[in-house]
Amino acid sequence: MLKRKTKADRIFLALNYMILTLTGLLTIIPILHILAVSLSDSRAVMANTVSIFPKGFQLEYYKYVLSKHDFYTSYRNTILITVFGTALSMLFTVLAAYPLSKPWLRGRKFLLMLFVFSMIFYGGIVPSYMLMKVLGLIDSLWALIVPFLLAQFNMLVIKSYMEGLPVSIEESAEMDGAGPTRILFSIVLPMCLPVLASMTLFYAVGYWNNYFHARMFISSPEKRTLQLYLNDLIISATQLQNDMTVEDFLNLSPGGVRAATIFAATLPILLFYPYLQKYFVTGITIGSVKG
Amino acid sequence: MHTKSGGKEYWKRYYSLYLMLIPGLSYVVIYKFLPLVGLTMAFQDYQIFLGDNILESMMLSPFVGLDNFKRLFAYGEFAHVFSNTIIISLMKLFILFPIPIILAVLISEVPSIHYKRTLQTVVYLPHFLSWVVVFGILSTLFGSYGAVNELLTKIGWKPIGFFSDPQVFRWTLVFSDGWKEMGWGSIIYLSAITGINSELYEAATIDGAQKMQQIWNITLPGILPTIAMMLALRMGGILNAGFEQILVMYNPGVYSTADIIDTFVYRVGLGKMDYSFGTAAGLFNSVIGFIMVIGGNYLSKRVTEHSIW
Repeated sequence: MLKRKTKADRIFLALNYMILTLTGLLTIIPILHILAVSLSDSRAVMANTVSIFPKGFQLEYYKYVLSKHDFYTSYRNTILITVFGTALSMLFTVLAAYPLSKPWLRGRKFLLMLFVFSMIFYGGIVPSYMLMKVLGLIDSLWALIVPFLLAQFNMLVIKSYMEGLPVSIEESAEMDGAGPTRILFSIVLPMCLPVLASMTLFYAVGYWNNYFHARMFISSPEKRTLQLYLNDLIISATQLQNDMTVEDFLNLSPGGVRAATIFAATLPILLFYPYLQKYFVTGITIGSVKG
Repeated sequence: MHTKSGGKEYWKRYYSLYLMLIPGLSYVVIYKFLPLVGLTMAFQDYQIFLGDNILESMMLSPFVGLDNFKRLFAYGEFAHVFSNTIIISLMKLFILFPIPIILAVLISEVPSIHYKRTLQTVVYLPHFLSWVVVFGILSTLFGSYGAVNELLTKIGWKPIGFFSDPQVFRWTLVFSDGWKEMGWGSIIYLSAITGINSELYEAATIDGAQKMQQIWNITLPGILPTIAMMLALRMGGILNAGFEQILVMYNPGVYSTADIIDTFVYRVGLGKMDYSFGTAAGLFNSVIGFIMVIGGNYLSKRVTEHSIW
């Protein structure tokens, strides 16, 4: 086919590139700015002259951040919660999604209704807090896992994906005498990899980033999570100043320490995220189209 | 298969499917349904130290009927946080809803695959940052001593209290939410655009239709069902003004415009330990929210045949 671009189309394309590039810059500049601040020398940070490139490159802030005991503790806690939480959540979610993906399952309608109702009616903050108290999970890291063991929406997405798989493969495995558990783990799950990858990412990011539950449930210093640590650092300049020795103070600006902490806390997400991009697009698409 | 409708044979063959449901169901029952028992507190004057434990206190605390709700509506502050919730939510709806749609249309018109990929990687990224991190980033730039205010002072303007001026703060909420989520929100529309039959575009090109005409006459009508569905669902979540965002970003100086139902319940119900009052406020929120979600989903089903359940 002959490709001929009219003048209007060319103008449209130029405008399009302009708007999109601007949008991209608007998104990335604040992040680059933080990165640049975290790598710049104190004088530049204090004088607010750092743009998106470091001024007077140095790694002192990172050295300082990594030397803080509290930073390590909170990092370790967040990693623990994210790894165990994500693994448990995936297990809970997949195990619930598979039976419910069988249209002939008896009691399916009722069971589904339980999950859906619990998704759209929320008891409220106070009763949830009381439940945690009853369960004895206040000030325990479990309090940051239990609330997210199964996200009903994620379960419904995986269920939809499973419903879309060809029935014949499962049926022939059943003819060969395989039970549901074996069929799930050796046949169905390998076919669900794209949706499982995106749900794993969603859970992991949710655990990593969760702030509210940590604020509500955690009080012991040694159980604090990264987001709590970070939040207190951002809000109270005083805490930062108390932490710093006179010598620190001469060499390090609070703004730089903050920036380095923010960046260090986000690094794992930045590292993993680009590789998972193609998967989460799948996850969202299924979630929206079927239901 | 015949066994799927049979009796004994069915259970023998498929009992393990029910075993699989145990973890998920126990989670839902314990974590989602059990707290509903706690809703009784909304109708009590709950005193936590009345009994030896929480449940015993619940049994012993006196019932007060609808007193907590009367207090709620008599209390000017609740009407205030309710209207804050609606205002912030509507501001976000009107300003932020169209952005991902426009973004998706523009991205889909980019001929270069490399450019497209790079841009998508960039604009999806902020979705994965926590609100704490976003607040850290934005306060570095827009805080009282941030780069932006520094610049404003330099050119002789007054600094803007993005996080401290009650009038400005709502806009800070709206635009930071937009910054974080616009790229992410565009994914769903992009995939809807991918689903449009490409022959329509080819035919239009042969007929001499320009890009803008194609967008107007093919792309937008093609994704209209998705737009309608998202709008209906968004309206269902109208009481959801962004709890974690506000909790992280607000401060007492901006309570007057940014305190929403959720933050209010959290502060009063747990912070001040006014459990019954907090439960009542939360219950009110949940019931309205529930009705809105059901309504939104119903609407979505009616208009587009798509729904979340």
